[in-house]
Amino acid sequence: MPYLGGEDTVRELRRALSNPNVQSDQLRYRNTILKVIRAMSQGVDVSGLFSDMVKACATVDIVQKKLVYVFLCSYAALNPELSLLVINTLRKDCQDPNPMVRSLALRNMTNLRLPSLMEYVEQPLTAGLRDRAACVRRVAVLGWAKLHNLQPNSEIDAAVVNELYSLLRDPDPVVMVNCLRALEEILKEEGGIAINKPITHHLLNRLKESDVWGQCEVLRILQRYRPQSEDELFDILSLLDASLVSPHPQVMAATLSLFLSLCSGLPAVSLAALERVRGPLLAACGSVSRELRFTALCHIQLLLRSLPGLMGAHYKRFFCGYAEPAYIKQRKMQVLVELVNDDNVTMLLDELKGYCTDVNTDTAQAAISAIGRIGRSYSDRCLEILTGLLALKQEHITSAVVQTMRDLVWVCPQCSDTVCLALEGCEETLQDSQGRQALLWLLGVYGEQVSSAPYTLEVFIDGVRSEVSLGVKMELLTTTMRLFLCRPAETQDMLGRLLHYCIEEEPDMCVRDQALLYYRLLHCGIEETQKVLQGRRSDPSLGVLIGRPSEPISQWACSFNTLEPLRQGTVETDSTISASRCTDASADVPASSIAAPLSLSLSPALSPEEFERLWLQRQVLHSEQEQIQFPAIPHCSPQSLQAAMQLVNIQTLAFTPPHTLPWRVYLYTHTQHAGDSPHITLILGELLYTGEEELKVTLKQQPRDDKALKGFLSILTTVLHTLVTQLVWFIAR
Amino acid sequence: MIGGLFIYNHKGEVLISRVYRDDIGRNAVDAFRVNVIHARQQVRSPVTNIARTSFFHVKRSNIWLAAVTKQNVNATMVFEFLYKMCDVMSAYFGKISEENVKNNFVLIYELLDEILDFGYPQNSETGALKTFITQQGIKSQHHTKEEQSQITSQVTGQIGWRREGIKYRRNELFLDVLESVNLLMSPQGQVLSAHVSGRVVMKSYLSGMPECKFGMNDKIVIDKQGKGGSSEDGGKSGKQSIAIDDCTFHQCVRLSKFDSERSISFIPPDGDYELMRYRTTKDIILPFRVIPLVREVGRTKLEVKVVIKSNFKSSLLAQKIEVRIPTPLNTSGVQLICMKGKAKYKASENAIVWKIKRMAGMKESQISAEIELLPTNDKKKWARPPISMNFEVPFAPSGLKVRYLKVFEPKLNYSDHDVIKWVRYIGRSGIYETRC
Repeated sequence: MPYLGGEDTVRELRRALSNPNVQSDQLRYRNTILKVIRAMSQGVDVSGLFSDMVKACATVDIVQKKLVYVFLCSYAALNPELSLLVINTLRKDCQDPNPMVRSLALRNMTNLRLPSLMEYVEQPLTAGLRDRAACVRRVAVLGWAKLHNLQPNSEIDAAVVNELYSLLRDPDPVVMVNCLRALEEILKEEGGIAINKPITHHLLNRLKESDVWGQCEVLRILQRYRPQSEDELFDILSLLDASLVSPHPQVMAATLSLFLSLCSGLPAVSLAALERVRGPLLAACGSVSRELRFTALCHIQLLLRSLPGLMGAHYKRFFCGYAEPAYIKQRKMQVLVELVNDDNVTMLLDELKGYCTDVNTDTAQAAISAIGRIGRSYSDRCLEILTGLLALKQEHITSAVVQTMRDLVWVCPQCSDTVCLALEGCEETLQDSQGRQALLWLLGVYGEQVSSAPYTLEVFIDGVRSEVSLGVKMELLTTTMRLFLCRPAETQDMLGRLLHYCIEEEPDMCVRDQALLYYRLLHCGIEETQKVLQGRRSDPSLGVLIGRPSEPISQWACSFNTLEPLRQGTVETDSTISASRCTDASADVPASSIAAPLSLSLSPALSPEEFERLWLQRQVLHSEQEQIQFPAIPHCSPQSLQAAMQLVNIQTLAFTPPHTLPWRVYLYTHTQHAGDSPHITLILGELLYTGEEELKVTLKQQPRDDKALKGFLSILTTVLHTLVTQLVWFIAR
Repeated sequence: MIGGLFIYNHKGEVLISRVYRDDIGRNAVDAFRVNVIHARQQVRSPVTNIARTSFFHVKRSNIWLAAVTKQNVNATMVFEFLYKMCDVMSAYFGKISEENVKNNFVLIYELLDEILDFGYPQNSETGALKTFITQQGIKSQHHTKEEQSQITSQVTGQIGWRREGIKYRRNELFLDVLESVNLLMSPQGQVLSAHVSGRVVMKSYLSGMPECKFGMNDKIVIDKQGKGGSSEDGGKSGKQSIAIDDCTFHQCVRLSKFDSERSISFIPPDGDYELMRYRTTKDIILPFRVIPLVREVGRTKLEVKVVIKSNFKSSLLAQKIEVRIPTPLNTSGVQLICMKGKAKYKASENAIVWKIKRMAGMKESQISAEIELLPTNDKKKWARPPISMNFEVPFAPSGLKVRYLKVFEPKLNYSDHDVIKWVRYIGRSGIYETRC
């Protein structure tokens, strides 16, 4: 957020801060400092006031002190020398009779994050460990962790480590937990704090005293402890039993995690623990906050991998509410699929059927594929629902249904008759490439049973020139080959045309190679072709009969109550996005090159003066304005933008520096149609970003050529797009 | 542990940013904005991973709160922490809105400093925090003149939520049982899911340091007493006891006593506070039943008949009843006939809203509507959203009853009888939906 008039504000604030009248009036002084902080949070650079603020630090007023510390901690890294002045005041504050002042000083001393000040900080920190007030000790303990983090290579004194160990017996529970945290960080190299029997028992006995956050921490660290005997193990378990059904989900989850790690050798006990947490877990699934519901669902999915029957009776808890966000609905459906059995299958399918017409297309498609999954065991009922959905003639629903049927038929070949009947006529509603690929596959494999298969294929083959999706083309080739084998009379002519097109005209190498392969295969004779295309496949239906083996608990126990279960789904979705993007991109490029084979060139070069003259001369040029959404572009460096543009032969002439508003770039290029007689046009462009969502592109052209302009714009967007994605990636690093 | 905490407005502008650990770079703030707030699709998950950094976010009205971490942390804990943070902030300045956050940014920085240190939660109880926080919350509507909490040197007192030396001429105690009943019913009248989430909210004006004891018809307690042989009202309350699925308490309640004897005893804070929260799923009294009848007459007409039945004692009155019947998007006109209350078709909300001011128990009322539809070539089937209901009833749908509320103050000379006590039950509708 840039802020205009920043310099004036800073000057005014400095005058006020150094005014003796203000300094003597506590309330006015405090208000001035408040203004400084406000300016800071609005993005004004107030680092120039550092020395004035250091002076303001020496006060008895706690409110003022706190405000000044907020300022100092943000700017200390920029002024390491001046920060030395603060240290003096801070060290004095560490002797203050008020424990609040002492803890405040100590905390901010460690928050300055300046390695050069370390030597001054150690002494007050050591004193802080022995302070009377608990709140000072809390800060001091964590202070050592911060110090270690600042200079990870320097050794922390063994005496300090010993003192921290002894502070585990501190009467204040927060000090105790902070000690655990600090030791974990300081001793990271050695594998964290040493957990032995006395420490374990001490921690367990005091578990109840600490707050929920502390309990989680203690339970997590105790996972490393291995009890020496079975008796001891059961003592620990019975101590923990109450927290297993704690009303706080975070404590419950942490306890279960500890249970699982302690009982890794006793599967029966782990099972009993899982049974016991069923109630609290289900409660978390119905909690008011959606994030918690989501987390609980993810963890339940984990449990179901070992105990598919755990939630069987409670399947109704996983029915979706109307207003729930899509991510929860999708998780709930995944759980529902796991819970299906003979008793509830009717109810479950009815429910899932309702979700198929959800407004959100992702949810609808997830529901359809869930029905497909259930179809592996209850194929008749599911196929009935799926066929019914086709009657809706909705684009996204039909596509999902056809894909689901394809997957279903692969595992349950006995369904093929019903599927083939249902397929008739749905090619008209199918639009997206995924759905059409599925349809083509089905036609290829069950071509004999679908009477209209050759006619459907013919429509595809006639339209192959305008087909953009690579996958559809490949699938089309295979399907036509397969159909040729079983219905040669009807297909021969089509196959010839398709092969001819793919070998002679198709720009994509992959499709061309595939077509050549089939062509040569046909030369080897029909038996050979049959052997290759209709050979035996593995039999996946065996897997359905046997069912998925339930995993042992130890497989996932270590990832329970971490981020991992939440990630699993999102990683999957991410990869599908990137995959679909990849195919789209590869499909887009040849398409645009077919439509407008456009080449850009930089010569003849244009001088800035010439550019300016042409730009301002409005009548001669044809101009056009576009809006593109690239809010991050103005943050990238001029060099990278220029380099990226030059790669595609666009010359940038002038820039405003990054992060200023309005941000502008001027550029030019010459376009030329390949193949035709040389038909060159000059394009001048301006990118303008005024702080809104969009980037405004103004293009001027001489002479007018709409096709070239469009082609240029698509090239420009592609370049900007790659730049933004790289930039985002870079920022995220 | 949490590496940093950011607060954004709905446009993605950063209102508050506090980084606790060095492994979180300054760019993290922008990465979340670009990838989540400005993303074109809907939110895919409350946890987003960008370049090995995890962002946990929670939305409150139009404010985004995001916690950032590089470690493989306990997800439940981070979310619970964010909720707690929201609770603390709203305790100080009311609703979490952009205006309030901007007005209270110094306070928020101060809170963030106290609640987290180096990314570890330290102290998150509003009462205990009061001693450390110097700023006062600025509420946007009305500025409550709370007395400046004195900064005492006694920092870790035993009772952080009540100060000494409170005096009232009249000792009064108000207790409200507020419940919200949630229902999802199938068109055939089958209960798909139902639960009650309830709160016991108290307002106490008591002198000194009183010790209170609160009793209700909790099944476990009553069963225990029944076994013990005390049969004062065992027979009567035995069947009326309720099973509580889970409950949480205000920090003033002695949990050890609850765990061992399941009795709720506490020294109350002064003024308003929430004593406990609970949830029940068994034997819920559903105050209303909605019976929908939808008939599609041809392609351009829809007949809807909805009957509501009140299912409680006829001496009680339900209030503010509102039934919301969704209509298809291509509705052109609606004719309504209802015997009771007022009904109106609201085109902007795509619903028929039927309001009844008061309705006694064991009554029945119905509305019938003829909906005319515009012929469309959109073949999309109407999704039929559920019929939802709002109401307020003067009893607790979970069946919870307050059995006693005793006050003991040994030092000052007033007894349990001198305290004026008020008990009130209010049952409201949460998400009360019937599919049609």
